[in-house]
Amino acid sequence: MNVAFLVNDLQLSGGVGVVVEHARQLPRHGIDAVLVLAREREDPDWRFRGLGEVEVLSLSQARERRFDVALATWWATTEPLFELDAHRRAYFVQSLEDRFYRPDDPQRLGAALSHDLPLDVVTEARWIAETLEEIRPDLRALLVRNGVAKDVFASPAELDVRRTEPLRIVIEGNPHVWFKGVGEALTAVREMREPRHVTLVTGVRDVDTAGADEVVGPLAHEEMAALYARTDVVLKLSRVEGMFGPPLEGFHLGATCVVTAVTGHEEYVEHGVNGLVVDWDDPRGTSRALDLLARDRALLHRLRCGALATARAWPSWEQAGTVMAAALREIARRPEPAAAPAAARAIADVRAAIEAQALVVGQRDRLRYRVVPLERLDRVVDRAPLRWLLAPLRRIWRRVRPT
Amino acid sequence: MADWQERITRDTKPSIRVEHDLRYAAAAPFVAGAATWCDLGCGTGVAAADALGDTALSRVVLVDADAGALDQAGRDLQAREIVRVQADLATDEGVAAVRAALGDGEPGAITCFEVIEHLKTFVPLVGALVELAEAGWTVVLSVPNDAFWALENPYHETMWGEGAFDELRRLLPAGAVVAHQVPLDGSHLVVEGHDGPLELPPVTPRPDAVPSHFIAAFGPRAGELASRALAIPSDLDGRRTWERQRESTLAVLEAELEELRENVRWSSDEIARLNAQLGSRSS
Repeated sequence: MNVAFLVNDLQLSGGVGVVVEHARQLPRHGIDAVLVLAREREDPDWRFRGLGEVEVLSLSQARERRFDVALATWWATTEPLFELDAHRRAYFVQSLEDRFYRPDDPQRLGAALSHDLPLDVVTEARWIAETLEEIRPDLRALLVRNGVAKDVFASPAELDVRRTEPLRIVIEGNPHVWFKGVGEALTAVREMREPRHVTLVTGVRDVDTAGADEVVGPLAHEEMAALYARTDVVLKLSRVEGMFGPPLEGFHLGATCVVTAVTGHEEYVEHGVNGLVVDWDDPRGTSRALDLLARDRALLHRLRCGALATARAWPSWEQAGTVMAAALREIARRPEPAAAPAAARAIADVRAAIEAQALVVGQRDRLRYRVVPLERLDRVVDRAPLRWLLAPLRRIWRRVRPT
Repeated sequence: MADWQERITRDTKPSIRVEHDLRYAAAAPFVAGAATWCDLGCGTGVAAADALGDTALSRVVLVDADAGALDQAGRDLQAREIVRVQADLATDEGVAAVRAALGDGEPGAITCFEVIEHLKTFVPLVGALVELAEAGWTVVLSVPNDAFWALENPYHETMWGEGAFDELRRLLPAGAVVAHQVPLDGSHLVVEGHDGPLELPPVTPRPDAVPSHFIAAFGPRAGELASRALAIPSDLDGRRTWERQRESTLAVLEAELEELRENVRWSSDEIARLNAQLGSRSS
């Protein structure tokens, strides 16, 4: 059996890392896996673990092969998916990607429409599987949770009790990505009363990092593991997540977490057992939760022990690879999803988008109608004979007129 | 301390044996009338014999990787024909051997209790079970909820829990029937001179009870899987013997370990001393 995973690029991202891990696990189960780049390489590839073990093809190279199963891994890769010659096509859904875009962003519609396609679905989180099954009642999504590299995020046999040092907090994510909540996390640590040491892990530097004691990154997995081993708390206030990996990786090294109730957290975060779940838009409450952990070292240790226990029960990449292999064989075995319900869904969604666009155009036309008199006035004010007379008025008008 | 009893024998403690007995009892309705019953990972067949010893069976296919266990299995069953297959169910060859033993006759029932977690890969087995169910076989399988206790069982190749079971469930046919097995706590009071079994009061399942095992049945008769409970008296005497034996063995092993550590320390010091001597002579 041979499979192709379509990726947009091989730049640093959790999603691409997951695909690379699956691709390198599959040969153990008699499945040849290749990565297909949906667009030309513009930047050098990130040094993903095991990337060298996996064959990478350009789209034109992949078009010359036949695959048993081809999978899109990002909404934009669903289009080239249909250019490949494959017995079955499927979609490895790692998040509902329309949520990555603001409501007025046209790419949001593109991402949402990709879920209408007549494709089998493999996903990494139960909330995604259940949501997609609500959207597509004909769908039976296959679930393959992401594994954790147990050799890299190697758990200690037991945890040291940390009684006196400042609370060591890690905030991870790109501050430019609105839904990662990095700014909110920095606000929360700034408002803490208790001693702490805050490490911000990010690849970007042109941002306000007030609240962080150090800024590091981008970091390889080994470096992240070493950092988590020194960490008490992973603080993550994301608004959109798929499987929500970073706190789980922290768990493996005995770091508890303070998180929002973001999608994916319900898979492994238990409030008061292995972490603390804080409210949305509540930097003050988050600060108090962190202060509590800084003061109450018995609670901190209990949550860290709970986190380590959760980590021990989480599957390795080897186990995740086994489930992925079974899922791919199941996709190859199943009949192809029917096209008619997919077409009906797509048409309904496009129609909804057309109606939404019509509303926007109507609002724009009404605004234009109301602006016409103002534009006339603008032209009058700009006429040469009146310029000198109306100069003071013009200055005010230029300040307030619509642009 | 965790108590790893992967092979059920007559000496296995009652709390573990009753779990196995109940699973076979739950499968008994499928097994009893089946033209062929296949027990994957049958072990010594103790639990199956407890549940099905009095049942007249047709053709029985017993499968295990361990030849010794397989040899004992089936001795207490009343079967028209018993076929024993030694096979590694993690391999395509092992699964093919089982399929060959099942033959092309009338489909029957397959039990696969506490097997999947022992396999290096369950891909060939799960694929085959799904295909057999489509061909008319009824399959009942179970996996343990190790993840709840974060138990790192040295005999288990994969970690099972609610999430892992959901992954498995989505690989099975859509109509699969799922059951959660939950341990019971109990006690009985017997007046001197009483003889015969005791009636137990009805057990009200707790909706939020954490299961010890997850069960799935699929295939044409899967809907017949019924809720049930089973109780057998604890063997406190046996348990005490077993636990004392384990504690004493552990104490001996710990003493041996300490002795070995002391030897290693002495050897390391001696090597360091000799190295230092060599160093001083060469200089």
